[in-house]
Parts: sequence; C-alpha cells; structure tokens
Amino acid sequence: MEAPPVTVMPVTGGTINMMEYLLQGSVLDQSMESLLHRLRGLCDNMEPESFADHELVYLLKGQQGNPFMLRARRSLLHPTAPWHLRYLGQPEVGDKSRHALVRNCVDVAASHSLPEFLNEMGFRMDHEFVAKGQVFRKGAMKVVVSKLLRVLATGNTENTEPLSLSYLVELSVLAPAGQDNVSEDMRSFAEQLKPLVHLEKIDPKRLM
Amino acid sequence: MMSGGPAVRVSIESQCERQVQEVSLDGLETYVPPLSMSQNLAKLAQRIDFDQSSDSEQDGPERESREPWSKPEPEEDEGAVKFQPSLWPWDSVRNNLRGALTEMCVLHDVLSVLKEKKYMALDPVSQDPSVTKTPQVFQLISKKKSLATAAQLLLKGAEKLNKSLAENQEQRRQRDFNSELLRLRSQWKLRKVSIQKQSPDIGDLGTVSLFRRQPKAKPASQTWHVKLEAAQNVLLCKEIFAQLSREAVQIKSQIPHIVVKNQIISQPFPGLQLSISLCHSTGEKRSQRASPEKSKPDDHLYVLEHNLHQLIREFHKQTLSSVVMPHPASAPFGHKRLRLAGPMAYDKAEISSLQQSEGLLEKIIKQAKHIFLRSRTARTIDTLASRIEDPQIQAHWSNINDVYESSVKVLITSQGYEQICKSIQLQLNIGVEQIRVVHRDGRVITLSHQEQELQDFLLSQMSQHQVHAVQQLAKVMGWHVLSFSNHVGLGPIESIGNASAITVTSPNGEYTISVRNGPESGCKVLVQFPRSQAKELPKSDVLQDARWTHLRGPYKEVHWSRMEGRNFVYKMELLMAALTPCP
Repeated sequence: MEAPPVTVMPVTGGTINMMEYLLQGSVLDQSMESLLHRLRGLCDNMEPESFADHELVYLLKGQQGNPFMLRARRSLLHPTAPWHLRYLGQPEVGDKSRHALVRNCVDVAASHSLPEFLNEMGFRMDHEFVAKGQVFRKGAMKVVVSKLLRVLATGNTENTEPLSLSYLVELSVLAPAGQDNVSEDMRSFAEQLKPLVHLEKIDPKRLM
Repeated sequence: MMSGGPAVRVSIESQCERQVQEVSLDGLETYVPPLSMSQNLAKLAQRIDFDQSSDSEQDGPERESREPWSKPEPEEDEGAVKFQPSLWPWDSVRNNLRGALTEMCVLHDVLSVLKEKKYMALDPVSQDPSVTKTPQVFQLISKKKSLATAAQLLLKGAEKLNKSLAENQEQRRQRDFNSELLRLRSQWKLRKVSIQKQSPDIGDLGTVSLFRRQPKAKPASQTWHVKLEAAQNVLLCKEIFAQLSREAVQIKSQIPHIVVKNQIISQPFPGLQLSISLCHSTGEKRSQRASPEKSKPDDHLYVLEHNLHQLIREFHKQTLSSVVMPHPASAPFGHKRLRLAGPMAYDKAEISSLQQSEGLLEKIIKQAKHIFLRSRTARTIDTLASRIEDPQIQAHWSNINDVYESSVKVLITSQGYEQICKSIQLQLNIGVEQIRVVHRDGRVITLSHQEQELQDFLLSQMSQHQVHAVQQLAKVMGWHVLSFSNHVGLGPIESIGNASAITVTSPNGEYTISVRNGPESGCKVLVQFPRSQAKELPKSDVLQDARWTHLRGPYKEVHWSRMEGRNFVYKMELLMAALTPCP
C-alpha cells in the first residue's frame, strides 16, 4: 500500500486564517524567581496559573520530502480537559524588520481518542516531552515559562528528567493575518523583560 | 685533575682583609669601609702615648704597660733599638703571608683527601635556572593581585561612603525642592495658548501663559492613597464610558443611540430619555450619572452608576479568571466550557448559551427601564390610594428584588371588613417592559408599560371588589346570593373594564338587594320590596288570594349617597340589617 499523500497546500482553519506571533528566550533555573516576579508585576493581575502538559509530536511521512507535523498536547493537571491539536506552518518570510516570528496556526480541540485517531490516519509519533511551568497573560499576549522534561519510557509521564538547567520563555499572540501592530506590542513588552531574559525571534529552520 | 664526574667549579676567594660590619637578611655582607689615609694616621696617632717621651723619664705603670710588649721579644731585639714589634711595617705582611700559607696548606690537604674519593666527595649543587627565575615572577604576580584586590576593596568602600554622603545631601536638598514644586503648582497654573509645530523632530511646542490660580480653601492636603483612589476612579469611569459609547455605535437597536462628546442619549421608552454622561472635573471628581428626565439634570440615578461599576468589574473578573486560562498551555484563551464545544459536538443553541450576548449598554438600559417602570407603578398605586378612599388599596413591596424584576402585592380591602372581604389580591411582577399580574383566582394578565393600563386595571378591580364584598357580606349576614356576575353584558358600556352585578335576597325571602357597580358609572343599589309594601301598585280584583301579596314587587333605587355609613360595605351591612326584620 502506498504511503498516504501529504498535502502541499497551505493549511487553513476554517474561514479565519490565524497566525501565531512568537518570541522565544530562555532563562537559567536560578534566575527563574526574579523573572516570575517581574512577570507577575507586568502581566494581568491574576493568581499565577501553573500547568503540566504532555505533548506528543506526530509525523506523517509521504513520498515528498518534508513530513507533515502535528502536535497533540494534553494537560496532566486537568485530565478531563480536551486534547489540543496544533498545526504550525512555515514561518512567513516577510520583511526582516518584523520583530516576531509569524507562522500560520491551526488550533483544534479534540477528545481523548486523539492518539488512536492519529495512528489510524497514518501518523507516527516522533517524540514526546513533558512541559511544566506557569502561564501569564497580558491582554491578548500569552507568556509561557516552561521547563521541558524528557520522557524516559514512552507513555510514562511519571518518569521524567529535565532536558536542561534552564526554562524556556515564550511570548505568543494569536491574531488574524495582517495585523502588524501586534509585533510592535510584543517587542515593547519584550523590552521590559530585558535584561532578565532576551526574547527574540528564533527561526526553527536554523536550528535543524 | 678529577677524571670522571662533572666538572665542578671551585671558587677561591682571598682572605677577607676587611671586617664584616653587618650581614643583612638576604645574605649580603656589609664590610667596614677601609680607613682612608688620614683616618689611618689618626688611628695610629691615637696609639702614641704622648705622655711618655723616648727618654723614659717617667716610670711606673707606663713602663709596665709597655713591658709585656717588649717582653716576648726580648731575644729578638735586645739591642739598642727598643721599638714595638707592632710598629714593624712588615709585621702585617708577614701575618698575611702566614695566613695565606696556612690556607693554601689546608686547600692542598683537602684536595689530596678529595683525590682519594674515600673520605670526601664533591657534589655539584643542582641549580634549576627556572626555579630561581619563576618564583620571583610568581611572587610578583601574586603580590600584584593581592594588592589590586585590597585596593579595590578600599576603593569600593570609599565609593560607598561617598555615595551615601552625596545621597544624604541630595535628599535634604530634594525634599525641599519637591515641596517647593508642589506649593508652586498649587498656586500657579500653566495654560497652553497656542500650538505651533516648530519642526517634525521636536514635535508640538506650545506657547503657554502663566497665571495665578485662585487659592482654594482646602481642608488638608490629601494623602497619597486618596489621590490614588481618585485616579483609579477616573480611569474606571473613562473605561466604562468608552465601552458604552463603543457599543452604542456598534449595536443596532430600534431607536438608535446618540453619542455626543461625553454623553450617550437613548430612549428606552417612548417619551422617556436616558442620558449617560461622563463628568470629569479636576476639582472634585464625580463619576457618571444617568438621569431619566431631561428637565432635571441633577436627578442622578446613583443605583445605575453603582451598577455600571459593578458590571465592568464583573467583566474584568471574568476576563481575568482562571477559567479562561488554557489547559494545556498551548491552547488559545477562552472559556473552559467553550473549549469542549468541539469534542462534545455542541450545536448552535448551546454555544450561544455559553457566550455572552448582551453588552454593557444593553444591560444598563434594561436596568434603567425596570427602575423607571417600578417607580411609575409605585406612583400609580400611590395616587390611586390617595384619590380613592373606598375601597382601600394596599401595596406590599417585596424586599428581595432583582436588577430586572421586582414584585409587589396589592390588596384591595374595605376598612373594617378586611377579614371578610379579601378576594381581590393581586401579585404584580414588574419586569423590564411589562407588568405581569397574577390574580388570586389564578388569572394571569400582562400589562404593558403604559401607566394608564395599570390604573384602569386597578380601578376595575376596585369596582369588582365592592361586588365581591357584598357577596361575602351576604354569606355572613345569612342572605342568599341569587345571581352574581363579574362582567355584566347589560346596561351601559363602561369605558374602563366592565361592570359587575350581584343580587342577594334576604333570609325570609321578602327583600332583594341588587347591586350593579362599574368603575366609571359607580354603584347602583336597588331594593325589591314585597308587593304588599308597594304603594303605587294598582289594586285590582283579579288577584283574590292574599298570599300573592307576599311576592316581591317592583324595585326601588336607594339614594346611596344619603345612606349612613363611612364606606360601601358598611352601608350595605346597614341596609341588609334594616331589611332583615327582627324575629
């Protein structure tokens, strides 16, 4: 049986094309406390929201070169909450002056039968990890400070070890395409976090 | 000389001719400097005893002191010349030579012993050239480092002291400066007169004029938290007004809302105007007001203002609640239950029930409508109660209300007969646009917001009450009800509601009272007498039996206004009592 065809058309989610604007940075473990304090002060006034998520990355390999990647994520603290399936497109190669990484984003809430469904569709799990940390929000901006943990035995989220001695800090906004003031707002917010953490746009292609 | 083994350097140094004065800590020897010619001469001259001449005339101890010198060499120089052997110039030379000979002999002996290699051996002293050099370099570097650290610490300390001293001075100066500035600002005011753009990079420059502010008699300077509260209030009011004006423009309604500068005008009911305006004065800050009548601008509705604040706070709390935060963290923001819409396959009705459809403006208009309706209902009832004394109208307002619903229980009673005549009890539920009336007998009537409808309805209920009261009274008095109708179809048509009628007959059946009461036409009471008491009936001899005279005859109207009694039921009771003969 031949491999299922992998789409090369741009993936859209319904009528509105949502883009994810992203800035990333990292901070060492010992500087986490001061970063949390600053975020608590800068972001909306809420109780800090902790999270523990388990993310599985699925790949669909077709005859063409690039495999199609989907990310399935579930919450370990809220087991009844639905799964979150995410598709992230290629980063837009717009003008270099844009301060944030912009890419097409499709978010879908799914029931708990998602892994089986993806397996039936032909996806294979490439890797998985556990992320633990805190989420902050400022209006439409979301700041996620997470510690990435490696899962030692497939499927067993109890046995984990940290991947590094630092925390990953991500500043993201979900907005429809064509809004340029979003990246300006993100940049000014990122300025306020310096010099604790430097948030910048990191092209994922350069890391591969 | 030595065969095999490394060549060994042997140093030979001459015997020290000079005395060592001092050996320093690093081994350097300081020699006594040799005497110069004059010093030597002086030293020798000191030795000469000028007291003793060569004649040797003096005897005594001088001679004896000289004796031991001359004694050991008597055999040498026993001759004529008596001179000190120390004055012999070659003595020192002889001694030096002797010493050199001794040392050479010693050296010769040592070398001969060394040659044997049995009792003594020469060992070269290994000297590492690098060891001699680098310790010094290391020492230098380490010394430099330690000195540098010490210097840095001292410098830091000095810097800190300097800084604290400067700060203290600065603070003292600054406090004065700040208080001066405050006083200046409270007394003077800057006002921009014109704005001229000088250049694009500088921006707006304005010419200002300075004039003295009238000093207000302020009680006491406000503390910082009072000022902060005032600032927060201003910001909240501005946010509320911005939200309201945004909605006023966006939302489509039957009667469009007008937004003019700081005022939003809308018409909840025809003939009623609601104006929400933002009042911001720098003297005392006042929040918004919502006035129902245009003619009375000072008539604030503080309740609505308070509710606006509550609504916006509720909105803030909802946006900032943890229900909105995503789990897992990569999900977009949104209500927790709405995220289940996909997996649980919600339909449109369920989704719309989760989402808030009403905005701030709609809510506040609904509340304003309800408040207005409630106040008008109360006014209607009160005017009726004050205008009409019989029957009496009582209103019991419930304490627990909703922003959109209130209720009142209206009782129509006759004074003195509350226990007997309590058939008209109305429960009015005042909503946003309508009033729902629930009757005691189970009927539900919906009235619109028109004031006249409620008034007419209450009037009709009052007229019905009179007739009901007669019915109850008849029961008590023992009279029989022959007929009763809430809405009679006979007689003149009432403009408000319908007339009601009742016919009751006395216990012995002789008299009948017929009452017709209408809201507009008032009450009409007729009494039917037995034929025997009717005077105007023509006597005929058709009826021969006497018993036919006991039948009821014609009706006679009662001059009700001339009847004794303070209210209708009392009068009726008197009438009934009068028509019931004593046994």
